[in-house]
Amino acid sequence: MYEKNPLSPHLQIYKWHLSMILSITHRIIGVVNSVAMILICLWTTSLLFGEINYETIKVFFQSFFGKLLIISLSWSFSFHMLSEIRHLIWDLGYGFDLKISKITGIITIIGSLALTVLIYSLGKNLI
Amino acid sequence: MHNSTKKWLAIKFSSVILIPLMFWFIVNLTSIYDEGYTEIVNFFSKTSSKALYSLFLIAAFSFFSLTISEVFEDYVNNEKIKNVATKILYLFAIVIPSITILSIFRLN
Repeated sequence: MYEKNPLSPHLQIYKWHLSMILSITHRIIGVVNSVAMILICLWTTSLLFGEINYETIKVFFQSFFGKLLIISLSWSFSFHMLSEIRHLIWDLGYGFDLKISKITGIITIIGSLALTVLIYSLGKNLI
Repeated sequence: MHNSTKKWLAIKFSSVILIPLMFWFIVNLTSIYDEGYTEIVNFFSKTSSKALYSLFLIAAFSFFSLTISEVFEDYVNNEKIKNVATKILYLFAIVIPSITILSIFRLN
């Protein structure tokens, strides 16, 4: 009986709203970024195997899918940074009001897209 | 201080350190990812890159292991499975960045 109790945050019970979607997305993106960190470590470690062995990775990164992966990673990191700042603001005791919470939620979504463009532009010296 | 409070503070502390390092890393990653082997090795051979990248890995793996263990707390019912999963998670969070940092310091 005990093991069948629903666990926090009761996804199947409450009606979905923006803060809930952002909270779940924050967790999913956190897991995605953890996997990305492992891949980044593998990529870095692969450098030890020399230039010839790195060719396959280089070809992948220079392809459309390589660029897509980096842009996706830029977005997932951007979303995570902004969402984490939102959580830190809450931890300081601000932004709990429903209206403010919705505004910061929307800022997180739109801001993550804008930050992705900014990161890619900075990285590629476009600005 | 209660253990949960210590864990919460550790999550917040790693988060504050991680945010600027994450920004530094992703900007540099977009700059070098499609470059040749030599350019990437040159980037990681700089003392500043080695130091910042090592800090980034330590902060990221600390943060992600602590927060994923929170996900286990919320979604895994079975105590034994939860404890084993958390211990494996912490082990990986130490081993993976340690190997990577050692690799970076071996690059010339």
